[in-house]
Amino acid sequence: MTPALDMRGICKAFPGVKALDDVSFDCRPGEVHAICGENGAGKSTLMKVLGGSYRPDAGEIRIDGAAMRFAHPRAAAMAGIAIIHQELSLLPHRSVTENIFMGHELVRPGFAGLLLDRGAMRARARVLLDRVGAQIDPDRSVAGLSIAQQQLVEIAKALLLDARILVLDEPTAALDDRDARQLLDLIRILRGQGVALVYISHRMPEVAAIADRVTVLKDGRLIWTRPQAEATIPAIVSAMVGRDLKDFYPAAPTAAPGETVLELDAVQAEGLPEISLTLRRGEILGVAGLEDSGKGQLARLLAGDLRPAGGTARLAGRPMPLGNPRRMIAAGLGYLPADRKREGLVLRQSVRDNAALALRAMRPAWARPAAGVFAPAMLDAGLKRMDVRAAHFGQEIGALSGGNQQKAIIARWLALDPAVLLFVEPTRGIDIAAKAAIYQTMREVADQGRGIVVVSSDLPELIGISDRVLVMHRGTIAGVLPRDPREEEIMQLSLGVSV
Amino acid sequence: MSDAMSKPRAARIAINAGLLLFLCLYALIVLIQPNYLEPGLFMNFLRRAAPLVILAAGQLYVILTGGFDLSVGAVVTFTVTAAALLTNGDPDATWPVIALLYLMGAGIGLFNGLVVAFLKVPSIIATLGTMLWLNGLALAWSGGAARGDLPENFRNLGRFQWRDVALVGTLPMAVLVLVAVLALLWWGVHGIGYGRRALAVGDNPRAAELAGIPVGRTRITAFVISALAAVTAGILLGGFSGVSVNAGVGLELQSIAACVIGGAMLLGGRGTIWCAVWGALSLFALFTLLNLLGLPQALRDSIQGLILIVAVGLTAWRSRARN
Repeated sequence: MTPALDMRGICKAFPGVKALDDVSFDCRPGEVHAICGENGAGKSTLMKVLGGSYRPDAGEIRIDGAAMRFAHPRAAAMAGIAIIHQELSLLPHRSVTENIFMGHELVRPGFAGLLLDRGAMRARARVLLDRVGAQIDPDRSVAGLSIAQQQLVEIAKALLLDARILVLDEPTAALDDRDARQLLDLIRILRGQGVALVYISHRMPEVAAIADRVTVLKDGRLIWTRPQAEATIPAIVSAMVGRDLKDFYPAAPTAAPGETVLELDAVQAEGLPEISLTLRRGEILGVAGLEDSGKGQLARLLAGDLRPAGGTARLAGRPMPLGNPRRMIAAGLGYLPADRKREGLVLRQSVRDNAALALRAMRPAWARPAAGVFAPAMLDAGLKRMDVRAAHFGQEIGALSGGNQQKAIIARWLALDPAVLLFVEPTRGIDIAAKAAIYQTMREVADQGRGIVVVSSDLPELIGISDRVLVMHRGTIAGVLPRDPREEEIMQLSLGVSV
Repeated sequence: MSDAMSKPRAARIAINAGLLLFLCLYALIVLIQPNYLEPGLFMNFLRRAAPLVILAAGQLYVILTGGFDLSVGAVVTFTVTAAALLTNGDPDATWPVIALLYLMGAGIGLFNGLVVAFLKVPSIIATLGTMLWLNGLALAWSGGAARGDLPENFRNLGRFQWRDVALVGTLPMAVLVLVAVLALLWWGVHGIGYGRRALAVGDNPRAAELAGIPVGRTRITAFVISALAAVTAGILLGGFSGVSVNAGVGLELQSIAACVIGGAMLLGGRGTIWCAVWGALSLFALFTLLNLLGLPQALRDSIQGLILIVAVGLTAWRSRARN
């Protein structure tokens, strides 16, 4: 069978770096072909070449056997290629129908094509939404949809253009398990309809579950392409990192946890009817739950981003004011957000300035900017302790990989010596080697007598790192599980089924 | 890796571009009028450019935090009219009136800042509103035409020159004021932590807030400093141009243009005090050049507009080239 997509010997260089070096990749109709690789391995560059955003320096792209040369992303779209990016591209204040038909609106016959045929578009949108299994009113505005629903709208949009090659770039990164499973089901349906699917993910169990073939890239080179049976998770992981991974999750602490460091007592807030919890020094408390379980609200509450309606909180023995990040940080809390770009980083500032940000916030505005605790040597020492890798720490942080950015944010908080750190999705979009380092750091930070709260949708991660797992359901705590719970136990609690 | 390496270099180029532009423009001036090479005429050039440079340096604070201050021109007008009406030619009133002017400036800046920080009104709208009510107030108070008189010792701040000074020949007081103000404003951005806070707020206000930066306070401070710089510029302008209800017309856009031409990023998060200084001097050199070429005054605005578009376009192009 002629592959739907055939990329041969693709090379792409940027000044000083060879992003793709003689990479070949193909995908047949009705096949899911997964691409794995650490960040910077060349996955995104390869997809940008495919999508017409980059022109390759060498190599050729064949669609259904015909050589193609895309001058513009639109040309790739017209050739039947659709790429669903991690960052969705929908217009939030337009309706679902308007988004699906963006740039391809249907018009009424006559009237010189000036009148939109809204009825036809709505009907067509409904068919497309049905096809992707989305129960969404086509008249709703996109802003009110969950990430999972928005993703389905993006896929429906791709189907409108009759895409025969569908690229999904980390589609489940922002989804919880239930939504992720639904998406995988949809992928199977599309495969059955003969779509060629390229699947990029860091989540190994998903790759193992869905891919017919797996390709591993590393440092811009093709390591291997194997059929599913030969692409076991350990084989993929060792090919990605170039070594075997041992001790992925740190060992359980030997010492018993210390005194209580964080206490929420009957706190009420939007989406959280009433919540009480305690966290002890040296303990890592995992928070699990489905997307609308309230775990996100709990994270926002602990970050100071949600005003409480009642209840009290204590941190390190003193009352802590909720609802004000600055005062909560002063009380000894540090927050590492899931969306680092939007909530964590000042992207145009240096690595050093990012690491100094919280300290800068707490010291007076008239403190000298590069002396004392702000001296480059001091800041660099903190960054080096976290093993942040950068060309130099005066470099803008936007150029660093996700893992190094996250490590720099950890350094930011450790500079303040906080009593409690809140990690939300600590390793989202971070490659495997950096993940292991971040877990290790979390354990060390806890062992130094701090309390850690981890809110995560990644169950293996939660199970691997947490000393206790708190499961949320409908805004309340459905149960608390001791170390090493089984995934099924967590799922039962998050679905509201008693164990 | 490679684009990581090129970033600090691009920032350096951005700063030097402003200086380079100024040197080129000044060289063109010298080509037409060789005596602009004399220290005396250069000092005079600096004296006339001083209000714009000071305005731009104050404006830079607001731009760093990701905003605009469109009210600075109105503050200049208000300062000149209020000074004339309050002193009414009485030299003894000069210093108390100057103190009062700064108080009013601080009040206006505080008003702008509070509206932006707490009512969450975009700064472009908030300061546009202030520009309108302040201009109206100045007109109503003065009755629509320049009234009152500025005493000699007030005007000397902008006008007085020491003669036969070593090296430079003449030394205008305005240049001394310029240097002192710039030293102060440089210190605010680069000498203390405030500048880094402002950059963080301009870069990503949400991340700054969640990291504990007092975002509201940082923004309010920027507006107060911008307004105080505008009062200073107004005092100097009143000194050498006299009383006029049009004293500050167009200065708000000129000061913003200056910062951008100098390489400050329009939506915040990138820039140094030198962006304002070299940008303002370049813009003023351009005006001087157009005057020397005998171009009509009206074309100044057109050319300024084109330069602004080119400057912002270049900044956008540079950042695109980097990614």
